[in-house]
Amino acid sequence: MTQIATKTANYPAPDSTSMTEQEWEARLQQIAADPRMSEENTTISSASVRKFAIPMFFAGLVGLVVTIVGAFSISPRHALGAFEVGLFTALAISLGSMFWVMVFHSLNASWSITLRRQFENLASVVWLPALLMVIVALIEVFSGGILLRWIDSGDEYNHLLEVKRPYLNPTFFMVRVLVYATAWILISRTLLAWSKKSDETGDRRLGRKARRLAGFAIPVFALTCAFAAFDFLMSLDYRFFSTMWGVYYFASCGLASVSAIAIVAFMLRRAGKLDGLVTKEHSHDLGKLVFAFTVFWAYISFSQYFLIWYSNIPEETAWFYNRQAHGYQWLFIVMVAGHFIFPFLLLIWRQTKRNPNLLAIMSLYMILMVVMDMVWIIRPMVSFAAEADGGEGAGIVGLLVDIAGVVGVLGIFAGVAAMKVAKSPLLPLKDPMLHESMKHKNYV
Amino acid sequence: MSMLNTITNYAADYFPMLLRKDNPKFVTETGKPVYGIVAEFDETPKVFKAAQKVRDAGYSKWDLHSPFPIHDIEEAMGFKPTKLPLMAGGAAIVGVTIAVLLQWGTSAYLYPTVVQGKPFEAWQPFVPIMFELGVLLTAFMCLFGMLALNGLPRWHHPLFTHDRFARVSNDRFFIVIEACDPSFEPTKVKKLLEEAGGQHITLVADSD
Repeated sequence: MTQIATKTANYPAPDSTSMTEQEWEARLQQIAADPRMSEENTTISSASVRKFAIPMFFAGLVGLVVTIVGAFSISPRHALGAFEVGLFTALAISLGSMFWVMVFHSLNASWSITLRRQFENLASVVWLPALLMVIVALIEVFSGGILLRWIDSGDEYNHLLEVKRPYLNPTFFMVRVLVYATAWILISRTLLAWSKKSDETGDRRLGRKARRLAGFAIPVFALTCAFAAFDFLMSLDYRFFSTMWGVYYFASCGLASVSAIAIVAFMLRRAGKLDGLVTKEHSHDLGKLVFAFTVFWAYISFSQYFLIWYSNIPEETAWFYNRQAHGYQWLFIVMVAGHFIFPFLLLIWRQTKRNPNLLAIMSLYMILMVVMDMVWIIRPMVSFAAEADGGEGAGIVGLLVDIAGVVGVLGIFAGVAAMKVAKSPLLPLKDPMLHESMKHKNYV
Repeated sequence: MSMLNTITNYAADYFPMLLRKDNPKFVTETGKPVYGIVAEFDETPKVFKAAQKVRDAGYSKWDLHSPFPIHDIEEAMGFKPTKLPLMAGGAAIVGVTIAVLLQWGTSAYLYPTVVQGKPFEAWQPFVPIMFELGVLLTAFMCLFGMLALNGLPRWHHPLFTHDRFARVSNDRFFIVIEACDPSFEPTKVKKLLEEAGGQHITLVADSD
């Protein structure tokens, strides 16, 4: 009876901070002795990563060159629109990963530990989309508004714009953009740095620190993500406003990032890494998140559409009216059927989620759908503005610029992210809950 | 036909005044129908290994009783995936269809009414009801389908007549192989449970 009592007293708390030093050392040794934790299985050489990264960089560079040529030979507006489609998809992947890392920390999640380093990697390359976002903001401000036409509205008095001037003015806009970029880079780099530090020192209190930071950083993330979406995507048409807009972009963030992680995990497994550490159980959980965010996106975008449709206020309905004209009606079908119904019916099956190959295909498709969502938001505004004062490439050349902008940003982003993966072990080696993730299993 | 028999047998538990069960294959010395043969185990690993043995012997109508959930026991017992998700999916489709017919039929054909100047057959306002009715019927099917599949609720269970079975809520594990299993053969079952390490192997009579 006494034996049972002592056992209960020493029972480790979920994050193991209540273990004694000796117990913790013993567990670290036990984990290190696990054959799955061999160096071969938990690290990837930069040489093998380069095989993927260099073609990506090449595709990205070609895309960017074509976009820049398009900007000077066809129309800067068209090229910038295409570039922003890629940019905001890449930003969604990074921001979403940052959100997931913080959620895992704050909820003390254990299933995701073997995948967490990849989330951290994708989050910490947020500097690239953030930098591109600052560049886009500078181009917009110094050109007097290529896509963000509120920046310089001419001399005509425009009542709607004047009442929004305290928010929509170039100075405040630049300040906000710099604040977003700084906040994202600081948060994501701190989380990655702590995670890497615990690899070396085995300090199990770093997890507590990360959880504390996550608690404060999630609201910061929520506000910066929502306002960045307001500034760049909603204010494409300054008359339009939607209180759902922040959540709408966030839904894309959550979806694009879990899809990207599913692809990264699939590729690492194919390279023979993380064998037995990232199993089909982890794939199942990632699949559940992809499915959940597909439905969440549909829920949010329908709610937005439904309220605008019902209340029938001209400033709001104009947004949908513009998109259901100008030859973009087909995109509406793509959004309803391609972004929701089709993946809903496929991802609802257990086997799709548990099969890493099928899940990787579905994830690639979902990222494509996030790109189409950004096209749906940004591209019609190019045509709409072009109708007023020209400046849109037509036919196959226009389509080429559209594709080049997306491939340009996403190619460079994928290359940078891949190089980041090789820089550290593929999972947090000494996380207090690693042993839970190593034996993770779905019982339903 | 065997499907119908199973349903009748289930229903007979609830409505003994209306339905009669099949004549029992095996009866006790007092003439009561046999419910099954129960074996007792005192440790989790033992009952786990015994479950694997019973699974491998090919029995389908048997159960394991434990004071707490045992990880991976569903694999050791050879559970087949449940049909409940398919039933729930069917209910969802039925719910959405009812919602569409109900709204589209009434507002576009039977009783067209101008509401806010919207078209009669506009699909947008139908969507929340389609969602709600789909979810409602799915939830009903999940709950009642689950109850139908596991045969709950019930007032009594034949195992309660077995005195040692009371310890199942404390520190003992039980495996029972039911007489309705097609390959139930008292001597064989008894031998299998003995080999699997079961103690106090007892024949339990059905309660009626």
